[in-house]
Amino acid sequence: MNFPEEQIEELKAYCAKLSALREANRIYFFLEGLRLPPGCEPGACDALLRPFPGGDGYPSQLYFSTQIKSPFTRNWNVSNVRICEKNWFAFSWKHTLSSPKLAEMLVNHLTGFTRPK
Amino acid sequence: MEYVEVHILEFAVKGEEVPIAAVYHVRIDGRDFPINTVDPTGAMLLEKVGRRPCAFELIEELVHNDNHVIEPEERVNLRKKGLKGFITAEKELVTIFINGPGYKIERGERTVAEILDKVKETTEGYVLLEEKQGPPIPLPPDRPVKVEGCEVFHTQPQSGGSS
Repeated sequence: MNFPEEQIEELKAYCAKLSALREANRIYFFLEGLRLPPGCEPGACDALLRPFPGGDGYPSQLYFSTQIKSPFTRNWNVSNVRICEKNWFAFSWKHTLSSPKLAEMLVNHLTGFTRPK
Repeated sequence: MEYVEVHILEFAVKGEEVPIAAVYHVRIDGRDFPINTVDPTGAMLLEKVGRRPCAFELIEELVHNDNHVIEPEERVNLRKKGLKGFITAEKELVTIFINGPGYKIERGERTVAEILDKVKETTEGYVLLEEKQGPPIPLPPDRPVKVEGCEVFHTQPQSGGSS
């Protein structure tokens, strides 16, 4: 799936470097140095945005290079999954947005760190 | 006779009227700035020292320690007799921006709920995001938010959850 250039530009602002990675003919976005919400430890890390539904039942997924300590405990149900030749971690978070832009998708996943449930 | 440049402080000290000039040298927080209009606004003068009305106020200093707060849109007559210069001060009641419009709030550590309340929203239904050295990032509702004035916030309905 192709994304509009302006959506990709918007995504760039959230991290130090953005690249598109391809695996199994699908595009993932690799966000190096993604800024995390206040209270997260570390405050930034590498992340991988999967902007399409996977076999896991989530409409999108945000993977992190490490498990993050956050203000609210999360269910880290993905550990060391191998995607695009890197290992990733993710917590259970499902957005209910219809046709979100890339940045909206990203922010929604980040919101997962800041919500009690 | 029209002067090219005048230093208004010199005339204030001598108790003389400031003559018409092309450039008026004005002291703001002890630093000299050339101003090429006789009636700048308060916001224009604040900008000279890199400050904004959402966080700072401008105070004109007159002889005999007579001080007066200048509003951002207020025009100041730089030829006013006795005008020595200006100082700036942090506002206690600052302006923050939420989804565009400005709202007054006390400087200091505020809760997410207090900020959301400005736009009649609650933490139960909305997420507060702050633009700080980058695009908007969500803020956890249980941590204080440092408000110094001019902060830019956004809100959005909650639309996700742990599954």
